[in-house]
Amino acid sequence: MFLLENQEARKGLNAARDGLRHSLEKHGIGVQVLRFWGERKLAYKIGTRRRAVYFLGWLEATGEAVNAAKRDFYLVGPVFRCLFIREEQIPPEELALGIQPIDEAAVQIPEDKPEAPAEGPYVAEPEPAPEVVPAAAAPASSEPVAAESAAPAESR
Amino acid sequence: MPDSTKKQSPPAHFDFKDVEALQRYLSPQARIHSAKRTGLSAREQRQLKCAIKYARFLALLPFTT
Repeated sequence: MFLLENQEARKGLNAARDGLRHSLEKHGIGVQVLRFWGERKLAYKIGTRRRAVYFLGWLEATGEAVNAAKRDFYLVGPVFRCLFIREEQIPPEELALGIQPIDEAAVQIPEDKPEAPAEGPYVAEPEPAPEVVPAAAAPASSEPVAAESAAPAESR
Repeated sequence: MPDSTKKQSPPAHFDFKDVEALQRYLSPQARIHSAKRTGLSAREQRQLKCAIKYARFLALLPFTT
């Protein structure tokens, strides 16, 4: 089973399915059945995605081919999650479906926009202006302090 | 005996795509019920566990709520 991004599937389900089939066959995987399973809301967010298009396939492949295909899917492309399970035989009712064209008019795929951040962009607050100290008062206050601090050191 | 307390027979095969059937074996917090509560055999409970975990991976079922 393959999860595809809604934005890619909106461009065309048949094109998405053909791209998926091409990616599988590139690694020597025999695609017996590949059909549109549904479009639904995810039970939890995956990245920024809240919805996905599901494709169900029945394949004939070796373990190495499956690993190579998985690596390929996760690197690039609209497939963001896939699950391969070993089965002894393909059910006859599934095998009868084969690879059929999808009626895209019958399927409504809503747009899955990434949600906007709750808060706006960070804006630094302006620093408060420093208080102005009169220039004449500053040396008068600093001299006695320096004399007091120096006095105990000299006595020692 | 009322129908609600009757023990339901488990399906012959737990399918990870059958979300509604699998949800019957989950708590409101999406935890899998124990074998004592489901009444399944050890083999059936293992099949249920695998089916739920496949469904969770595919975001058909939540890990927690």
